[in-house]
Amino acid sequence: MNHPRQQSVLQQRDQAMIDEFVAGVGRRVFILTPSFPFLFIGKILKVIDDIATIDVETTSVAQLEEKVWNVHIHSIEVFYIESIGGRKIPDLEG
Amino acid sequence: MKRCYHVVAIPIRIVVNTFGDYNPNGYMYVLKENESKVRELVRKNPFTPVDLVQPLVIRANEGDEVEILFENKVHFNTGMHFQDVSYDVQEADGAAVGLNEDTTVAPGEKIVYRIIADQEGISYFSDLGNPSSSEEGSNGNGLFGALFVQKRFSWWTDPVTGKTINSGVDADIHHPLLPSHREYAWIFHDEMEINDLTGNNPVDPMTNQETESFHGVNYRYEPLHRRQQLIEEGVVGPGTDGEEVHHDSWVFGDPASPILKGYVGDPARIQLVHGGVKETHVFHYHVHQWLSDQSNIESNIIDAQAVSPQSNYTIDPLYGLGSLQGSYGDAIVHCHLYPHFMVGMWGMNRVFDTLQDGSQCYPNGEKIKALQPLPDRPAPPAPTKERPGFPNFIPGKVGYKAPRPPLGIKGGRGLTELEANAAVPNARPGAVFSDPTPPGTKVIEFNVSLIELPIVYNKQGWNDPKGRIYVKDEDKEDVLAGRKDPEPLVIHTPANVAIRVHFTNCLPSVLDGDAFQLVTRTYESGMHIHFVKFDQLVCDGSNIGWNYDTSVLPGQTITYEYFADVELKAWFFHDHIFAVVDQPHGVFGSGVVHSRFSSFFDSETGETVDHGTQISVTNPLIPDYRDLALFAQDFALLFDAKGNPIQPPAFPGSQDDPGVFGVNYKNEPLQFRLGKDCDPAFSFSSFEHGDPITPILRAYEGDPIRIRLLQGAQEESHSFNVHGLKWLEERADLDSKLDDQRHVGISESFTFESYLPRSGDYLWAFETEEDLWNGLWGLIRAYGQKVPDLVKLPDRPIPNIPTGAVPDVCDPRPDAKLKKLNPPPSPLKTFDIVAFQVPIQYNSYGDHDPYAIVFALREDQEAILKGKKNPEPLVIRANVGDTVEVTLTSELKRELFPFQDGIYPYPDVKEQACYPPSLRISLHPQLIDFDVKTSSGETVGFNGDQTVGPGEKRTYRWFVDSAHGACGLWDMADIRNHKSQGAFGAFIAEPRGSTYHDPYSLCQIKTGARAVIRNPFLPDIREFVLIMHDGVRLLDKCDQVIVDPVASVLLEDEPEEESVDTYDQGSHAFNYRNERLINRYNEKPVLHQLFSSKTFRDPATPLLEAYAGEPVTIRYLYPAERRRTQTFHFHGHQWRSDVKDVDSRIDSTIGYTVTGKKQDLELIGGAGGIKRYPGDYMYRSGNIQWGIEKGLWGIFRVYEYLQEHLPPLGED
Repeated sequence: MNHPRQQSVLQQRDQAMIDEFVAGVGRRVFILTPSFPFLFIGKILKVIDDIATIDVETTSVAQLEEKVWNVHIHSIEVFYIESIGGRKIPDLEG
Repeated sequence: MKRCYHVVAIPIRIVVNTFGDYNPNGYMYVLKENESKVRELVRKNPFTPVDLVQPLVIRANEGDEVEILFENKVHFNTGMHFQDVSYDVQEADGAAVGLNEDTTVAPGEKIVYRIIADQEGISYFSDLGNPSSSEEGSNGNGLFGALFVQKRFSWWTDPVTGKTINSGVDADIHHPLLPSHREYAWIFHDEMEINDLTGNNPVDPMTNQETESFHGVNYRYEPLHRRQQLIEEGVVGPGTDGEEVHHDSWVFGDPASPILKGYVGDPARIQLVHGGVKETHVFHYHVHQWLSDQSNIESNIIDAQAVSPQSNYTIDPLYGLGSLQGSYGDAIVHCHLYPHFMVGMWGMNRVFDTLQDGSQCYPNGEKIKALQPLPDRPAPPAPTKERPGFPNFIPGKVGYKAPRPPLGIKGGRGLTELEANAAVPNARPGAVFSDPTPPGTKVIEFNVSLIELPIVYNKQGWNDPKGRIYVKDEDKEDVLAGRKDPEPLVIHTPANVAIRVHFTNCLPSVLDGDAFQLVTRTYESGMHIHFVKFDQLVCDGSNIGWNYDTSVLPGQTITYEYFADVELKAWFFHDHIFAVVDQPHGVFGSGVVHSRFSSFFDSETGETVDHGTQISVTNPLIPDYRDLALFAQDFALLFDAKGNPIQPPAFPGSQDDPGVFGVNYKNEPLQFRLGKDCDPAFSFSSFEHGDPITPILRAYEGDPIRIRLLQGAQEESHSFNVHGLKWLEERADLDSKLDDQRHVGISESFTFESYLPRSGDYLWAFETEEDLWNGLWGLIRAYGQKVPDLVKLPDRPIPNIPTGAVPDVCDPRPDAKLKKLNPPPSPLKTFDIVAFQVPIQYNSYGDHDPYAIVFALREDQEAILKGKKNPEPLVIRANVGDTVEVTLTSELKRELFPFQDGIYPYPDVKEQACYPPSLRISLHPQLIDFDVKTSSGETVGFNGDQTVGPGEKRTYRWFVDSAHGACGLWDMADIRNHKSQGAFGAFIAEPRGSTYHDPYSLCQIKTGARAVIRNPFLPDIREFVLIMHDGVRLLDKCDQVIVDPVASVLLEDEPEEESVDTYDQGSHAFNYRNERLINRYNEKPVLHQLFSSKTFRDPATPLLEAYAGEPVTIRYLYPAERRRTQTFHFHGHQWRSDVKDVDSRIDSTIGYTVTGKKQDLELIGGAGGIKRYPGDYMYRSGNIQWGIEKGLWGIFRVYEYLQEHLPPLGED
């Protein structure tokens, strides 16, 4: 284990990701992951360790929506968290 | 593990149906243990099918050594040639190729073949002792079979008894770790000799003419004409016409053709094999879908698979039998080519919902055979009086047409008590016995009618007076009144919706007779759909087996419900009731299921739409795009403006390629696009003729596009090409190779996703000669500036590139001048190429083309003209990152064209017309990057002229953007007079840093079909470019025209005088060479040694040479030009079907190769295959009929020891 001040780039990235999600609790998030179901849109409910709990509005498959999902933050490839003044994630219906 | 089989080849009478039709001269492979039993059963049952008379299917596990003791009891030499396995080519090839030992077997003799089943899948085997395609040949008469290779540790049992079996077309496969599954062999074959009970050729009672040739499955067929006889004799089916009940078991009982049985949800595998000799068929399986490549989960989902002779596919239906929705009943499995379907190439997948223990009966009293439940799945419930299970709850009457479904028909009946017991809780119109739609799903409704109206196909007035098309009800009046142009109905929805269609049959109940068709009482119709999820018993729009008849009578409306579970491509729909007679008139359409949350708008007005062949699509998550659906049509039964039939058949009702062609009910024949100068080079130009009437996809530069490719009608193969664009072959797979061509057969559906990199006109075309000649082409127009009648895509910037006004038809045609780049691009490769005419010798027997046109480097021209070099197709190479400038000069001379009057009599095309040979020429490349306005090598739309006149020069600039490998090069100035005479070549896009060397001298080369490719980061590789081509007009040594294919058929005492389809005419070759077997046979009539270099000599076709284990890449191309597809097969070697994708299927064949096809074959294990066996390996056509006989074969010689003339790889 490295000393905190000697964290690898990977560790720093992972921590920064977690920090972003912790800061985003209560906001809507857009996530792409390499594994099924690939896409999540929903509200970040909480972050425990490196797991984000998301109240999911939309995934690629309707039957998996309106459920609470636990997403491993380090398996996320792309994300966007809504912020004041930033672009809004579209509300999707259908 | 070692497995041993004793296989015997025997002559056998093959009875193919219960009507007693039979092949008196059949042959089959049979296990020794069954030989006497088979002979005895056939002797006792001369007029009924015998279960054991089916193609031999044996099984082994991955990694097994399989030892076959083969015994020949046929009167000529036979053998067993195995595909997709490893073997010593000297001992187990089942042929006598090159300098190998002869491993065919003389009558009465035996041999042992040892093979290794390297990987799971299908190993097709067939005879090469007798390669004749005549009735005296072996393959066409049944001498084929398959070894199915299972996962390691598997075992297999009989689905009826549960006991282990040694052979059989159906088996249950078990594994200690994996689920058990059903395995069914589905072996298509064609052109078998068939007699009726009287020993004569069968006669169609409708036309009173001989029927179509045999097209069947597993030595069985169930033709319409046979069943129709029972109606005509008044035995069954009162009040019916014929085609609408062809597949109806209520009327006729079950067919003799295969019925694949299972329970709802059973995992299943269909091993699809083509054992036939001639046709490319399209396998279609109702209700189910599967991955196009079962080894690649990112491959396309399909429900129709084209399959060519001697090729094969493994089909694992997703979600098991009954698909996601658990639909039970009879799902028809068939060749979708209607003349083949009609003549009997179909069977069924019967999915039961209750246990069958052998005690139950079908409604006609016939016993239902027991069916063991798969051991690791719960057994289905036993049938009871209240719930008898399928088909015994359906209120049909034996001998009469199937009943109509409950609930769905407006004003129709409700549920009987037994039906109510079988129904789902929420039974409703269109979803009664299974419910495809999850609760709460949004429903989108469409009102659709099928109507009849005249349709004009082109500017010259070619028309179908009895066009029959689907329309949305709200468009019906406008279409009938001529206010809206008729086009195939394409409806659009996002995914995750239920689609509810209220379908009304508005057709007249009679299709009138004419030169093409007999009067037919087409009194019912329906809407059969592909891809979406539905209850097959009430929504299939068909009349299959013991199901309901889900069509409606004139004036009736039926409700169908489908669930679009995920984004799908274009799902095909059509009528399944009178498809043979109706569909050529336009009875087809499509639905496109786009990504969820998509919405659709009219590209011209911006208004919201839900249907149209050309729309724009916007989505909040993915890039917006333009969407174009194209439907190819053959058998278009058209009349000219004066009312004369165009290409009528020999008699009405004949399925022998009547009519011409269309795309979206339009065509733009080239014969009408000659200008004042009568030069074909400008046929595609819009400057003189205006735009074609065929679809033009309009977009702005940079717009993403999706092309939905379908074939609406009817029998033939088509080759779709787009010039200047490309797409991922497997759309969802980023590892997929890029392509710009696709073979399509009826019912197949493909989505091509691309974008328009630059403004200009891009040509799309169904590019076989006859299709193109008869007008199957159009444009994709990318504007560089804003135009008033095209709304921009919402997520794209407003186009503001000042490129001037949009060109007009009246403008003079500009010259497409290439601007000089300053500084010049680097690295830059230049080629100085000349096109000229020169005679070519195709083989040592004197077959030659005295009028050939070739492309060659200027430095080679003199040697070619002086006869010091026998020309081969031009092959040039460049590396990724290279800019290539090709300067082309035309030295064509009018006097060296064979038909200066403009009528090219043979090989012929439909609608022959004057098209004088052009002295202009061009060079069009596939796949690599170029600006279509200057360097596409063709004069298209409002692009400038890019052809080259006699004595002129023109430079094209191309950029090698990826290591595409093989890319075709061909002329686009005159598609009638140039390409069949050799005006093509190949461009090989190699990896960056590659150098190219002569394989014999190792000197660097600029051109050549054989090369050693060196690259600092890759092993040295031997590269062989093989160009298979057709439509060649050859003369023999006496200067007489060789009228192929008839002239090449072996063992045909009296060549048939019957006319050969236009697209079968002409000779074939590899790289301007062929080795026609008939020449060899006439020299020495030893049938089984025709491939032997000991008996004859090495063939004229390219001899490929390597040392065992050396890396080898074959660059295979098919630039020209006929619609008949070929299979390419390479003995003893395999490759990944997609050279860029390690997950792709491993193959030893390439199916449905046709104009524009190209593929790179990296031989697994290198020369000699995985086991590196030295010897002579044959590469060849897989078409026994009109392929291999015509000389499409050659030798790959793999040496064990050093040869003086061939330096091994790795030497400097």
